[in-house]
Amino acid sequence: MELTISGVGVRLGGRWVVDGVDATPPAGALTGLLGPNGAGKTTLLRLVAGLLPPDAGAVLVPAAPGSSERTSSDRSSSDGAPGARRTPVHTLDRRLRARRVALLEQESSATVPLTVREVVALGRIPYRSLWGTDPDDGAVLRALRAASAAHLVDRTWSTLSGGERQRVHVARALAQEPELLLLDEPTNHLDVSAQLALLAFVRDLGVTTVAALHDLNLAAAFCAHVLVLADGRLVAAGPPADVLTPPLLREVYGVDADVLVHPRTGRPVIALTGRA
Amino acid sequence: MRRTTRTGTPGADLRGDERRPPRRPPLAALVVGGLLLLVLSLLVTVTIGPAALGVGQVARVVGHHLGLVGDVPALHDAIVWDLRAPRVLTAAAVGAGLATAGAVMQSLTRNPLADPYLLGLSSGASLGAVAVLVVGVSLLLPVAAFAGAVAALVATLTLARTAGSVTPTRAVLAGLAVSQLAAAGTSFVIFWTATGDSYREILSWLLGSLAGATWPSVAIAGSALLVVGSVLLVVGGRLDAFAFGDTAAAALGIDVDRTRWTLMTLVALLTGAMVAVSGAIGFVGLILPHAVSVLTGPTHRRLLPVAALTGATFLVWADTLARTVFAPRELPVGIVTAMVGVPVFAVLLRRGRGTAWS
Repeated sequence: MELTISGVGVRLGGRWVVDGVDATPPAGALTGLLGPNGAGKTTLLRLVAGLLPPDAGAVLVPAAPGSSERTSSDRSSSDGAPGARRTPVHTLDRRLRARRVALLEQESSATVPLTVREVVALGRIPYRSLWGTDPDDGAVLRALRAASAAHLVDRTWSTLSGGERQRVHVARALAQEPELLLLDEPTNHLDVSAQLALLAFVRDLGVTTVAALHDLNLAAAFCAHVLVLADGRLVAAGPPADVLTPPLLREVYGVDADVLVHPRTGRPVIALTGRA
Repeated sequence: MRRTTRTGTPGADLRGDERRPPRRPPLAALVVGGLLLLVLSLLVTVTIGPAALGVGQVARVVGHHLGLVGDVPALHDAIVWDLRAPRVLTAAAVGAGLATAGAVMQSLTRNPLADPYLLGLSSGASLGAVAVLVVGVSLLLPVAAFAGAVAALVATLTLARTAGSVTPTRAVLAGLAVSQLAAAGTSFVIFWTATGDSYREILSWLLGSLAGATWPSVAIAGSALLVVGSVLLVVGGRLDAFAFGDTAAAALGIDVDRTRWTLMTLVALLTGAMVAVSGAIGFVGLILPHAVSVLTGPTHRRLLPVAALTGATFLVWADTLARTVFAPRELPVGIVTAMVGVPVFAVLLRRGRGTAWS
């Protein structure tokens, strides 16, 4: 999805938690949202998801579903160009928005004993008729298969491991058939192998994805594009190799770091020495 | 064993047998079975009582009122049609209403301990009822109880909204405050004015009783159940979206604030009508949804209809026990539901179903 974050800001409790952020995450690729705790990553994701109306600016998405493929070749097309009509995401109809944008929260646990099938079926709620029937019976299993979680279908949610839960959450988001996937620290609590598996999977989905990440090396290894937030403002944006430099890491995170080149992938590797 | 990534989350260490996929029978089977059980229970419990009447005699009386059978003995007619039939039907409607209201309330607040009275409804209804009982105009009791419940609801939602949107925690805390205030008012009225007879009447009402059920009670409880219950059945499916919290529900296209507000009001109206005819019968709305969800699972399109049918059958039998065990003396049915409900609760707690109970 062709996504434009245009001068977006929001005040919560009298403070600008997100302040004048301009960004264009590339369509069909994984964008990492970086920044220290409290930088406004979660709030920015909620703004992009359209769940929080901005106090300034707007998050613009194509007015009609699926039009991104036709316009993605023309990156410089202006907002008013025919065929690329844009609309603020928070003004979209809720149900229609939920068919195009999926958000996975950082910590989400259920209070009821759902099975995996029932959890993934939640992602079909935006498509359900008034009587609760899903027009597409196969969508739940397709989403589970896409997330390599089909073998879990009859398990009870509470018996899953952390990595399995995250896969099922992703399947739930995929069941929404989104054009834009928003993930808030999806690798939290996962072991190293599960972290790599999840990010590789998300990167290869081909869906425009913005993921808030804490681990700079994971972001450097998997993201096509990174956005760096500090105190609610965007301080840098671009490919990881251009953005993640020792001066930026010192300024934003207050750490002393060297940026090396990975001997096999050629991607940046951040070696931390200590606090700056 | 498969390689797993432990997270230290509660629920990840459940016993081996918890890993089996839960059995979920088809909804149609549960509804048909529940309906048969309910109809059978209604027929059987009408025959139970101090005057021994067989199913045949009961059927003749019912047939007489449907214009199918000629004359029946006047005494049989009085017992079946004037006393027992309105009572078992009221019990069924109230049981169904409370179980449905409890299930919706538990999902709306994401709190397994929520019940239909959470928003201070029963305390508000009690205050209204007690106020007319001490004055001695028991004819107005349902009206006063319903007015009390609605006043409590308005107070709770107003209080909960003063701080912004109605979050589950705010609703529960506001309900607690309103409930305490109404309870204090009730105690005050009882302490100040009640004497011997009216005291027993008040106590029986506070514990919940179907002894006063008449055909108007059936009409009140039944129509509230039909109207509000059918709306809840249709929109209740949206409650599934709340399983992972408010933000997840919003991301699934649910208008969280409006849905919570609407459903709470509907539940309150349903509960208010039930409390108006029977007093505050406890434990049905708390226990039944949990017990039923063992079979149906927590999705609401399955849970709500089965909970309603089971709640109806449960209260019909609980009330039959209440009026027969110590006959000719009657127990308030609230005592029976608590005595049956607590052991059921203990069993469910032992099973430790999923994260909500761990």
